[in-house]
Amino acid sequence: MRPSPSNPAPFPRLLPWLLLIGGGIGLVAAFVLAVEKIALLTDPAYVPSCSINPVLSCGSIMSTPQAELFGFPNPLLGIACFAVVTTVGAVLLAGAELPRRFWLGLQAGVTGGVLFVHWLIFQSLYVIGALCPYCMVVWAVTVPLFWYVTLRNFAAGRLAAYHGVPVTVWFLTLIAMIGVRFWSFWSTLLPVTF
Amino acid sequence: MPQQHDGTEARRAKVEALRAEERQRSARRRNVAVSVSAIGVFAVVAAVWLAMASLGSDSGAAGAAQVVREDSHRLGTAADGKVTLVEFLDFECEACRAYFPTVEQLRKDYAGRVTFVARYFPIGGHFNAERAARAVEAAAKQGKFDAMYRRMYETQSQWGEKQVPADAFFRKMAEGLGLDLAAWDKAYEDPATLARVRKDAADGEALGVQGTPTFFLNGERIEPRTPDEFKAALDAALAE
Repeated sequence: MRPSPSNPAPFPRLLPWLLLIGGGIGLVAAFVLAVEKIALLTDPAYVPSCSINPVLSCGSIMSTPQAELFGFPNPLLGIACFAVVTTVGAVLLAGAELPRRFWLGLQAGVTGGVLFVHWLIFQSLYVIGALCPYCMVVWAVTVPLFWYVTLRNFAAGRLAAYHGVPVTVWFLTLIAMIGVRFWSFWSTLLPVTF
Repeated sequence: MPQQHDGTEARRAKVEALRAEERQRSARRRNVAVSVSAIGVFAVVAAVWLAMASLGSDSGAAGAAQVVREDSHRLGTAADGKVTLVEFLDFECEACRAYFPTVEQLRKDYAGRVTFVARYFPIGGHFNAERAARAVEAAAKQGKFDAMYRRMYETQSQWGEKQVPADAFFRKMAEGLGLDLAAWDKAYEDPATLARVRKDAADGEALGVQGTPTFFLNGERIEPRTPDEFKAALDAALAE
């Protein structure tokens, strides 16, 4: 169902704030990652602030080829794209009415983002075998951004009514995957041995 | 008359607006309720799973665990099979590295009289420990357990205590030993290899092993602090 004057787009209040705040959080995470990457480049012995333990370890992730999929560090993409998302949120809050073709452009952006993020999740969990906290922040904001922009552009009534459920299930699934994948490590952190 | 008509219209619009608002509110409530229920179900499932995991290990602790199994790696075998020394080890652990020359010496001194068994016990806090165990297990598939085991300790200072995967380093090591690299790669990535490593560690955990190295002499845990204490323990076991 296309939004039209008689049928206003869903989430008129939620979406601008989500874009502003979600984009802002993603921007900060990408920026920190880029700064850490530069620190790592100037000093190979540098231990990034997010290398906490063998599983939560940015250092081991940042030095993989997956961290530079397009030949340059991924966070640079994040800085550029999240800045745009944040700006769109601000523009909407300022009261702008954006044409559908603009929304479709944003849709292309968030779709690319969400695909990339899922590839990174797979690589991180099952190929590299470590997690990077700042990257996980990016995962956590990208999926809601994609979901709500998609709902706004193409929402069918029923799905939009229960819009929170798929996002919740996605988060729970990811938590379960992380829990299971690194179980042998998490179990060593627990007071009881399993 | 027209005025009254306008009034009705306005009232109707207001009622309509109120209804729409009510509909929206209840939709929002349903959305939140279903989402929260999903979280609740997840929490319950996770709690049950955790409880079962803890019960499972409690009951399995006494019966199933064995100090030595059929497939445990033997670094040397005693002819009479009377005395067996088992070490639960972690290739990235510095204490294990410190014990390594002693164990090597004992292997020479007690060759043919004592069975030496090495079992994997990679510690969670060591980033490359499990990878190292997999690398050795992959080499063991080509009959090179002993050689890879020794190379691991000899090179520990080069790859240990790092927070980056040492896969490439281990691969070079396998290459240096003249292993069939394609087969080694396959075994290294094979989930069965990891399962084999974890099986050793699970036995260790069930036996109460908490750190490495942990030694068992004929099934009894021993804590030798010096090479002489080690020899004394072995001699005593041989004399029995």
